[in-house]
Amino acid sequence: MRLHLAALSLRRHLSRTLLAGLGVAVSAAMLLDMVMLATGMRESFAGLLGRNGFTIRASPRGTLPFDSEATVGDAADAAAAIARVNGVTTVAPVLGATIHVLDADAPVTAFALGVDPSVQGDYELLAGQDPVSPNELVASDALLARLSKRVGDTVAVAVGFDPQLQTYAGRRRLVISGRARFLFLSAEDRAAALQLSTVQEMGGPGRRDRVSLFMVRTAPAADAEAARAAIEREVPRVTALSIAGAVAEAENRLSYFRQLAFILGAVSLIVGFLLVTTMVTVSVNERIGEIAVMRAIGVSRLHVVHQIVLEGVAISLAGAVVGLVLGVGTARYLNSILRGFPGLPDAIDFFLFQPESALRALSLLVLSGIAAGIYPAWRAASLPVAATLREEAVG
Amino acid sequence: MISPRLVCILAVPLASATAQRIDSVSPSASVERTIAIDERLAADAGLRIGDRVVLAAEPGAPRGDTVRIAAIVKRRPDPSEVARSDYRLRMHLDHLQRLASYGDRVDRFSLQTAPNAAVDSVVRRVNAGAFGFRAYRSRAIAVETSKTFLVVSRFHRAIGVITIVASATFLLCIMLLKVDERRRDVAAMRLMGVSRSTVVRSVMLESSFVALLGSLFGVGLGLVTAWFVNVHYQSVYRTPLRFAIVTPETVAISVALSLLLGIGAGALAARRLAGTAPLALFGR
Repeated sequence: MRLHLAALSLRRHLSRTLLAGLGVAVSAAMLLDMVMLATGMRESFAGLLGRNGFTIRASPRGTLPFDSEATVGDAADAAAAIARVNGVTTVAPVLGATIHVLDADAPVTAFALGVDPSVQGDYELLAGQDPVSPNELVASDALLARLSKRVGDTVAVAVGFDPQLQTYAGRRRLVISGRARFLFLSAEDRAAALQLSTVQEMGGPGRRDRVSLFMVRTAPAADAEAARAAIEREVPRVTALSIAGAVAEAENRLSYFRQLAFILGAVSLIVGFLLVTTMVTVSVNERIGEIAVMRAIGVSRLHVVHQIVLEGVAISLAGAVVGLVLGVGTARYLNSILRGFPGLPDAIDFFLFQPESALRALSLLVLSGIAAGIYPAWRAASLPVAATLREEAVG
Repeated sequence: MISPRLVCILAVPLASATAQRIDSVSPSASVERTIAIDERLAADAGLRIGDRVVLAAEPGAPRGDTVRIAAIVKRRPDPSEVARSDYRLRMHLDHLQRLASYGDRVDRFSLQTAPNAAVDSVVRRVNAGAFGFRAYRSRAIAVETSKTFLVVSRFHRAIGVITIVASATFLLCIMLLKVDERRRDVAAMRLMGVSRSTVVRSVMLESSFVALLGSLFGVGLGLVTAWFVNVHYQSVYRTPLRFAIVTPETVAISVALSLLLGIGAGALAARRLAGTAPLALFGR
């Protein structure tokens, strides 16, 4: 009965109701997008870092992984010291380098990772096999396409120049043993992975026994934060970063987006609340005579309150459902814009739809709809019945 | 003019409690090397011009170079450095090459051409004889490095459009409700013999006034918000960069848009009211 009366009341000014619903839907979409933006980066970044079970990264002291060209010397000793830390199960050393592939019409520059294929966590093999021999490499699709090469082909690779002799330094012929997707690089990046020892040897004395990064896997039951602190104590030449630390660092760098999401989300919620409040208040003002009549014929105050609150909830609920669809659509569009950041790994999403967060956000909106209906409902329920009827009759 | 440049990460052991500011070391009589540090490093490590610090290529290195701080450099309002919290230090090229065991190598050369030089031709000639490096026009590098900001700019524009749609719906709704509230007044005016066009004009005038007042208030709010945003983010990112700028164009667009919506909503509602029989407006 109450629901029916509320529906009738909303239907009486259909265009107004639709417009208010649209307003709430846009607010809901905006709120949902901002919730997705606030949580998306953190979740997808943490998911990316946690792939393959590597929970800690150790890079040259004072730097973040691959944030500079700095390297750690005496890498074998450092790796052994890290491996001795309680809770550490695997240490995967990585050396980054720029390589020049000389088989194309003009030398093609690519980013190379020197890894231990048996423990690496930087790429996923798509075809072929890992670089199990020192003269093999796996390449990204972007690099293979640029070189017009396939798995099984051989390429000449160098890691530097000798400007005096006008020759390439650290030259080698390598067999492409596989195709790979590099987890921390974008699909457009030309990349290759070789054995760590190969990259170190090609780099000459300057790269001997040096690495850019250690990726560390800890036992599932181990405290990653305690292991991180222990690594820094054991090897003071490195800065160790747990997933939580890395996510915090990334959030710090991208705090702008999180704060923008918070501000716009709050504004959306306020706009939705104001819209429903105004709509219901005006609706109540228009029906003040009707409400007085209802009260006069014995309809209880609670009934009046319920009916008016239901109107606000109905607008909010309908707006939230439409907003959900609208929000997911706009989030996809906004995500596609932000995914245009140069060098962004494929696995990173700025807007991530999580049913729980979406439900929480939209529930908040519906709650604001209930709150929005309370004031006009209370006002309508506490009308002086006789005076209102007389006023309405006299005009 | 050619200016070579080498960038390298150095360990400057001064930010910790054991900051090695060694004022007691007397400057070398022969050549005392000097460096410039950025204001962020100076503030964080409590360094001043004339202080001496030890530089090393790696943390914990047993030996380093003792240098004197000759200048403190202001950070430029560079958007590409906004999210970076690292410190900047300027050294003489040969000094850094030696300290980092970099040999006779540099990361890049910056070339200054004569004002009337054909830059493209210079770039072509350099590339024709180049081995191990490539020349680019500054403009081309600027285009490449500004891709990040193009993405941010596109994102802001998209958010702006969504915000405009949301606020336009809100504004339209409020204006319609506001005009609808006047149904009894309109009915009374019509019964007194006021013409429909006068009713429409008066309601439109009222809604325009409300929209103008609201937009002026909005401009004021926008200016205060922009000031707050700048103060907040300049302190968060420690940069003189301005994050929010309210331009005359922005003000003009927002005022025009709200006026347009206000007048549009007013006209729509007023026409509907004027077209309804006065007694029906009274609910009879």
